[in-house]
Order: sequence, then structure tokens, then C-alpha cells
Amino acid sequence: MSHQLTAGIFKRLFETDELDDTLLESRPTVQFLSYKKVATGGTTNNVDRYRIIVSDGEQFLQAMLSTQLNYLIEENHIAKHTIAIVDKFACNMVQGKRLLIVLGLTVLEKTADKVGEPTALQAPPSARSGAESASPAPEASASAISAPTPAPAPAPAPAPAPAHAPTPQQSVQRQGSRGSRGSAIYPIESLSPYMNNWTIKALVTQKSGIRKWSNDRGEGKLFSVVFVDDTGEIKATAFNQAADDLHARLQEGKVYLVSKGRVGLAKKKFNNVVNEYELTLERTTEVEECRDVVNVPTVKYNFVDIAGLQNVEKDAICDIIAVIKETGPMGEITTKSSNRTITKRELTLVDRSGYSVRLTLWGAQAEQWNAGDEHPVVAFKGVKVGDFQGRSLSMSMSSSMQLNPDIPDAHLLRGWYDGGGAEQSYQSHANNSGSGGSGLAFKREEVLPVQEVKEQGFGEPDKGEIFSSRATIMHVRPENLTYPACPTCHKKVIEAHDGWRCEKCNMSHEKPQYRYIITAAVADWSGQAWFQGFNEMGQVIFGMSGDELMEIKERSDTEMQNVLSRVIGSTYNFVCRAKQDNYNDNVRTRYGVSRIEPPNYAEEGNYIANLLRSEWAQ
Amino acid sequence: MSEHATPRINSARLTDYIGRSVRLTCKALAVNGDTAKVQASDGGEIIARLLPDVDITSQYIEIIGTVQDPSTIKMQACIDLGDNLDMKLVNDVVEFSHDPRFSNMFLH
Repeated sequence: MSHQLTAGIFKRLFETDELDDTLLESRPTVQFLSYKKVATGGTTNNVDRYRIIVSDGEQFLQAMLSTQLNYLIEENHIAKHTIAIVDKFACNMVQGKRLLIVLGLTVLEKTADKVGEPTALQAPPSARSGAESASPAPEASASAISAPTPAPAPAPAPAPAPAHAPTPQQSVQRQGSRGSRGSAIYPIESLSPYMNNWTIKALVTQKSGIRKWSNDRGEGKLFSVVFVDDTGEIKATAFNQAADDLHARLQEGKVYLVSKGRVGLAKKKFNNVVNEYELTLERTTEVEECRDVVNVPTVKYNFVDIAGLQNVEKDAICDIIAVIKETGPMGEITTKSSNRTITKRELTLVDRSGYSVRLTLWGAQAEQWNAGDEHPVVAFKGVKVGDFQGRSLSMSMSSSMQLNPDIPDAHLLRGWYDGGGAEQSYQSHANNSGSGGSGLAFKREEVLPVQEVKEQGFGEPDKGEIFSSRATIMHVRPENLTYPACPTCHKKVIEAHDGWRCEKCNMSHEKPQYRYIITAAVADWSGQAWFQGFNEMGQVIFGMSGDELMEIKERSDTEMQNVLSRVIGSTYNFVCRAKQDNYNDNVRTRYGVSRIEPPNYAEEGNYIANLLRSEWAQ
Repeated sequence: MSEHATPRINSARLTDYIGRSVRLTCKALAVNGDTAKVQASDGGEIIARLLPDVDITSQYIEIIGTVQDPSTIKMQACIDLGDNLDMKLVNDVVEFSHDPRFSNMFLH
């Protein structure tokens, strides 16, 4: 016996704007055309759900079976073409479509013939192939039912063209042409996480290669660029899929309109671009190349001149523009930490301040440097300042350089250099302040009181730690103040029948040069320690050469005593190396003086005055 | 004890110490017989009444004396400070010694 289906009920259901009770309680007779198990969204939800195609004889549509009724399918009460009365159902709006949820049904006939030729309700005209064409909706609705929040999100780009999966490229481009035209350009300076409808027009000044990483959380790849406009700069990173897409599209030196990126706090560990925020470029980010040449942003520099480098702290980042006076040869260095060899090349930079400084290029930049014999003007951005030999510069991961840039500073330098600057002689920071030597800087800010020096217990033997200190000479050991030395190589010479013999130089000298070896007790308010120094230290303390001191010693005991006692109470700034020595089973820390200079009271006083004015003293 | 303390001052603070003994670190600008025109660490000019047989030989001196009026000091003693002195630093010292944060370190 075949039952009559309630023909047209679906049409009515979906055409009314309001569901009234009469419809809901109408208990239509329907036929199930097919059913399919769907995985529910939500990882914690293990319940199966069944999607059914329900027909009223004229049209069919998607419906979901309420989970309480799952047993009907699982225990085979419902099969293909089963006719049943829907006793209770609900009708939800999902993405503009009505979705039926079957809450209660009574099976009339399990097996039957298909009734009528039902057509899909609201199917797209192109697809009459049954369930598949309407699939985006139920997918969305499936997740809509199972997830408590009715988020239609899962069906983004696929919607317009379900037959072929759109590539992310396409969707980005399509949205790009629709979205960004006509929206205002925002300055990079104004970007913040609090506004999300922005578009920037920016130049790519740096682009990194794709970098892969692998850690215990998994693998991934990324690349980053730096966007610059007239108001500032910002770093942008793309990960994984987005990285693949955008890496080919973003080129250094071109201008792009960018929108719908995620603005977040800058991770200072990886990012030293001047901005508290950074961008993450995602698959939804829109990037459009900007063809108009007007208003192209340029790289912003904040140059320091070489003389001024003295005032820039070690490890700080700065910009500098200078003429390359000398190009060093390419060399290789092996890093102690990872045993990798890296190529490097040193350039000597000069500018109108009369100073010169060395800058190191690494890796590919070192290899590709080719200025020939020329002396180009180069603008460097984001170079790291070091204190090797006073002051030195080094290119880092995020540094960039421009050869002979078309900016006024560059033209000025060119004119100056060609007009005679080339002949000038330059000062380097290594010559500054006193007995330079190995270029160790006296670090005023890091002065350690003597007691703390001893408490530091300076670590491993064989590894020297450098520290700065200010202390007063309390006592100088008068024994062995000097040793006879070879005037050429300074090694100790032995008195022989034909003079003073130097083994190293294989020469004999008539008279040795007496050089100092000083062992002095120094102290400050916190404690006392023994420092050791050589000729330099003696020269500074005594104010005379070792030879002269020896003469006085020969000449007069009392005068010698005077000289020795004069030294007591004089204060100096020291740069020392602490090293542990193994000495007959005793481990002793020896403090060698690398640099000694009398304090410049005005400088020290000003330093303290500034400290008192700083926040620290409030 | 506080009457014997001689705080270091500059020209602006003279008015606070009228009748009292103070120290004035200054630069000698001109000497006219028994008075001298000196410049204090804050740039202000002051007249110093010199002691009878004292000669000012160096550029920078410290005058210990009593304040007679907001622009005059009567010398009791004088210290030679040489020809090289960072007056800005001196002024910093004067101002810090009057700063309430550090007043317990100085005798005023």
C-alpha cells in the first residue's frame, strides 16, 4: 500500500516568513531518499549525526535527524525510500536557508518505491546532481547545529564556485579588487590591534628568504618583509601556506596596498624594526601591487655621524651614511658556538666628522660586494654598534644598505669626498682616551666595587672575564718592580759575557730596557685586591719609564722611597681581566690590568649628575 | 653646629643666606683693588670684597665668606682651584646639595 506524501509541504515551509504552529504540527508524510552519516564538528563530540534527504513528492531537501532518532537508522528501521510521518520537527534558518530537523517520526513503510520526481529545493541552477551541489549549505548547517554558536564561518571562498576549488591566490586577488579600492590609506604609524579595517600603501624595503623550522611543537616555514611608508615602518611575517603564496608576490623595492593583516605586539626578540606592533600576513590578507608612482614611500634614515658613534651604546642599532674608503678582502671565520664557517668582509667608512670606522659584512653580502676601486657612498640602516677597537659596526639580519642612494646626504658626501675629503686623515675611536692597546673600553656604567669583583668568583679557569673598576693604589710591591727586557720584543734578557742576550731575537744588547712588572694592592670603599700590571701600568702610575726608576733606585734609597710613597693614594679607572690559575693545588684568581687611566673627574662627575637626574634616583 | 656649616651656593641662592657664611665657587672676571667681580656657577655675577693681602692668581677660586647683600660677599678665605673647572658640574653639585632628596647628606 503506498502512502500519500504531503506534497508541497516543503515549498510552503520555505516560502513563509514565519513559521506558525499549524505548519509545525502538520505532521507531514515524507519519504526519505537517502541518508548519510556526518561527522560532527567539535573534537569532543563523538555522536554521529545523520543527514537525510527528505522528499514531499515534489521537492526534496536536506534534513538532520535528531540524535535520539539515530537508532532508527542504526537498527535498520529506516532504509532508502522509507515513508514516514514526521511527528515533530523544527525548522532553523541557517545562512538564509531553512533547515529541517526531524525530532520525531513514525515509520509507515520501510521499503517503497520512490514517489514522484522531486526536485531539489533552492538548488543552484547549474547542478541537479542531487546532494552534492547543495553540499556547502549542509556542511555549514551541520557544523551550525553541532556547534553552539551559529557560526557560518566555515564556508568562505568556496561558495561562489563550488565546482572547482578556488586557489588561495585567486580568492586573494578577487577580494583584493573588490575590497581595497576606494578605502582610505592609513599611515603605518596609526596601525594598532584596535582597528581592523585599514589599508596601508607601503614599500617593501627588506624581504627575507623562506625559513623552515622544526621544534617539538612541529614544523613550519615563514618569511618576513619590512613595509615602509612616510610615517614609519613595520615588520610583517607570513607563515606556512600564506608564506608560500606571498613570497612570490612581494618583491623588494615595490609598493603594495595591504589590508586585513593581523596587527599584534612586536616580538622584540625577532624584530628590531622601530614599531611596537608587527603584522601577521594570513590567508585572508589582501596584497595588491600598487602601480601609481606618485607618493611612493622611501626608506627613512636617521643617520649618526661616525664621530657621534662614541655616544651610541654597544649593541645599539643605528643608521649611518659614509664613503667607503677601503674594502678589505673576503675572509672566513669559524664560529666557536656552532663550528660553522662564515664569510666576512671589512669595509672602512669615513665621513665629514673626520672619523673612520670599520663595518663588517657577512655571508652573501660579503661575497657579493663589488665596488671595485670605487669609493661609493653607502647608506646603512639598522647596523649594530660594537665596541671592538673603540667603536665598530656590523650588519645584522635586519640591516640593509643602499649604494649611492639618491638622497641629499649622499650627494653632500660625494661632493665632500671628491673635493678633497679623500686626502684627509682620519681619527678612529680606538685612539681615544689614554692607553688604548687592545681597544678595551672603560665601562663607567659597569664599574664593580672591589669586593664584588672578588665575590664574582670569576668562573672557569683558562677563561678570562673582563671588568671595569675604580680603585686607589694602597701599596706597590717594591721587589721585582722591573725586569731587564729586550728593546725590540720585550722578552726577558739574560746577562751574558757579551751583553744582554735575547733568545727570541737571537741578539745581544749592550743595555736592556727595564720594563715594569707591578703587583699592587688596590682598594675602594668595599675591599682590597691585588692587581697585576706591566709596563703600561708602571708608566701611568710612576709617571716615568722603568729605566728612569731603576736609575733612581741605584742612586738613592730615600728618593726611591719617596717615589714609591707618592704613588699611594692615587686613584685610577681600571679595565682588568680576571683569570683563575692553578697554583700548586691552589686555585687563585689573578687580576691583570689591561688598561689603566686616571679618572677624568669632570666626566665622572657629569655621569653621576646625570644618574641623579635620571629615573633611578627619583 | 649649623651656624658653622658653610653651604656651597651660587648667585641665585645668595638671598637665602644673608648674614651667613657660605662657600662660593666662582670664576674671577675682574679685580679692582680690594674688590673683584666674579661669576658664580649659575652664571650670575657677584662682587667679592677681598682680604687685604690676598692676590687672585688663578681663574677659578672658592671664596668662603659672609653674604652682605644679594650681590655681595665679604671674603674670609680663598682657595685656589686652578684654571680648569667644569662650572656646569659645580652648579649641579650646588643644586643637588640643596635638593630635599639629599639634604641629610649635607650640613646646611
